[in-house]
Amino acid sequence: MTGLILNDDDGDLALLRDSVAGFAQRHDGPATLRARRASGDDLDRASWAAMAEAGWLGVMLPEELGGAGLGHAEQSILCEALGQALITEPLAQLSVLSGALIAAAEPGAEPQRLAEGLMSGAAIVAPAWQGADGSTGPIVARSTPNGITLSGRISYVSAAKSATDFLVLAEENGQALLLSVPAISNGLKVAAHATLDGSQLATLTLEQVTVPTQAVLSRADAANAALEQAIAAARLAISAELVGIGTRAIEDTIAYTKERVQFGRPIAGFQVVQHRLVDMWADAEFAAASVSHAVEMQDEGESLERDLAVLAAKARAGDAAVTITRRALHLYGAMGFTDDCDIGLYMKRAVALNATLGQPETLRLQFVARERAAA
Amino acid sequence: MSEQQDWNALSDDQFRAVFRSWVEANCPTHLRFMRKQRPVFNEVSEWYHTLADKGWLSPLWPQEYGGMGLDAGKHIVYVEEWARLGCPRIPDHGIGLTGPLLIQYGTQAQKDFFLPRILSGEHVWCQGYSEPNAGSDLASLRTSARRDGDDFIVNGQKIWTTLAHCANWILLLVRTSTDETKRQKGITVLLVDMTTAGCTVRPIPNLRNEADFCEVFFDNVRVPAANVVGEVDQGWALAKAVLGHERIFLGAPSRPEYAIKRLERLAQDRGAFDDPGFVARYAKLRLDLYDLSAAFERFARVLRAGGVLGADVSVLKIFCSELYQRITEEMLTVAGEEARLWDDLHTGEGDVDAMNLYLDSRAPTIFGGSNEIQKGVLAKGVLGLPSSF
Repeated sequence: MTGLILNDDDGDLALLRDSVAGFAQRHDGPATLRARRASGDDLDRASWAAMAEAGWLGVMLPEELGGAGLGHAEQSILCEALGQALITEPLAQLSVLSGALIAAAEPGAEPQRLAEGLMSGAAIVAPAWQGADGSTGPIVARSTPNGITLSGRISYVSAAKSATDFLVLAEENGQALLLSVPAISNGLKVAAHATLDGSQLATLTLEQVTVPTQAVLSRADAANAALEQAIAAARLAISAELVGIGTRAIEDTIAYTKERVQFGRPIAGFQVVQHRLVDMWADAEFAAASVSHAVEMQDEGESLERDLAVLAAKARAGDAAVTITRRALHLYGAMGFTDDCDIGLYMKRAVALNATLGQPETLRLQFVARERAAA
Repeated sequence: MSEQQDWNALSDDQFRAVFRSWVEANCPTHLRFMRKQRPVFNEVSEWYHTLADKGWLSPLWPQEYGGMGLDAGKHIVYVEEWARLGCPRIPDHGIGLTGPLLIQYGTQAQKDFFLPRILSGEHVWCQGYSEPNAGSDLASLRTSARRDGDDFIVNGQKIWTTLAHCANWILLLVRTSTDETKRQKGITVLLVDMTTAGCTVRPIPNLRNEADFCEVFFDNVRVPAANVVGEVDQGWALAKAVLGHERIFLGAPSRPEYAIKRLERLAQDRGAFDDPGFVARYAKLRLDLYDLSAAFERFARVLRAGGVLGADVSVLKIFCSELYQRITEEMLTVAGEEARLWDDLHTGEGDVDAMNLYLDSRAPTIFGGSNEIQKGVLAKGVLGLPSSF
């Protein structure tokens, strides 16, 4: 399986891939997922600390904030490799999306503190900006003599129980605000629900939560632009992870169908099975091509081209990973329907990521609307 | 007088600009974006001779034989611009099949005789491979050639021979001996003058009521042994060797690209973009095309870097041909009751040949190795699956 193909003249991307493979030897993805699911936690602290140590949490954070200052290529290769190993800690949310919001903040002590904490693993910084329908759902902000008071409800927050800080989208008099809100704030409640992929997703309720004005990271157009860019970066990272999930699912299914003997022959020898495997592989190839294209576009393309490429990549990679894992599960037969077999975990993770930050049809409609508006 | 220049020394963009501006100035307007996919020689001979005079008829032949000597990367540009400018397809079996075969495997006498006659248009070639019982399973072909002194005597029948009715030479795969253990052995490549006694051609009207493929019959046709290419009984490898990087073009996005523009024109005119159901289906097609371009580029890049295509390139052909069909199917949906009509549909922005494209799109999942054959190739060559049964 080829997966993402990106320019790697100095071999750094290959090294990154290898280091994830090594990591997966020590922190087995499926085993970690099962343990996390059983405990009801929303983050595996040991994995997260090791990822911080490996330097994977600040890949795209600028060097001024102490980050690695690398680009989408490195981030994508990392996420693809994590997807292959089914390492399911919410890196796209807590590192990529939060990191982009922090990087876009007006310089100051607060973003510096958040960046340092995020990278070291000492702070768990969870983005909190979605309404119940998944789109941006700012809560109400009101300036008072004591600071800024926040009230409202926010959906789909990753790692909310583990979080030390939330990056909250609010609105005051029609003006957007991005603020950092400590998890221990008075008036902040977390209601977590189990997810399909063995984690927890929470709804936050804020009742008159007051933060100092220094908590504001960005405002108005800058806040909206920061969020839009952060969403795009997270979508691309998730797309790469979905490519990893899809390619690994096919590799495993090929290996299984070559071993599984029925009617005296490996079932991979039956033409009907072969054509299904080829269809799955073709989906993975197109997803990899689409995501590679989107990664390249982030450095080369005009603004519209960059946005379109990410929408296309997330739609393609999501569709591909979901259908590949679903068909893989079928080819495993009754084994595929057991909780013991990892293929089911790949399928659940694919479904969950596919539903994150826009399902394929929504993204395709956005693509077409943007393209036609520009024509 | 033909130009001699090292085109490969130009950047892709420079070559694109040179090629485009000359073609725009020289390809006759009435031949652009022809409704017919495969016009016969006389319909496009003007363009054929113009290209030949310029030395641009044979992009891949080395310059010593009158070609442009393009590398694969430049050839992609040539083909892309050709499609973008709507140039008509010319009968190209001489340029794309017989020529390369002779350049690689032909005798000096064969090259000296045939290559100039291809360039001048005196010889128009067709490809005699498929037979009534040898399509996907080509190695089961039975048209025979029996040695008789300095000649071979050919008997049998070919079918689905594209443009045979306007060709005067045929590149023929024949059986010269039978090996029970390996059917690929015993096949020979013969160059046959179709004006020879005993050779008859019968056009087969296709779905579009055009004659673009034929049956060709051989009844004791006498062919000089000097017209064997390569070794007797060793033709199978030759026939397979000709298709190199050109396999990428079976998956080039140009046909679906053209079709989706026509779909957009029709949908705009009929108000379909106000229908959320249509927009959702259109969005799927549009993004399939967008990603096909990304996937095509992935393979094109291998060629530009001087690499060789693997079996995996078949994935483009499967996806591209199916996408082309789905786009044309959507056109008929948008056409509504009008989809009962044979003629082009009128819109404020010009006509849309919906039915023409719908019918045309039925062919690519069949030709060039049916999609099921391609999947077999991928299963074995890329996924490493055991032989199927």
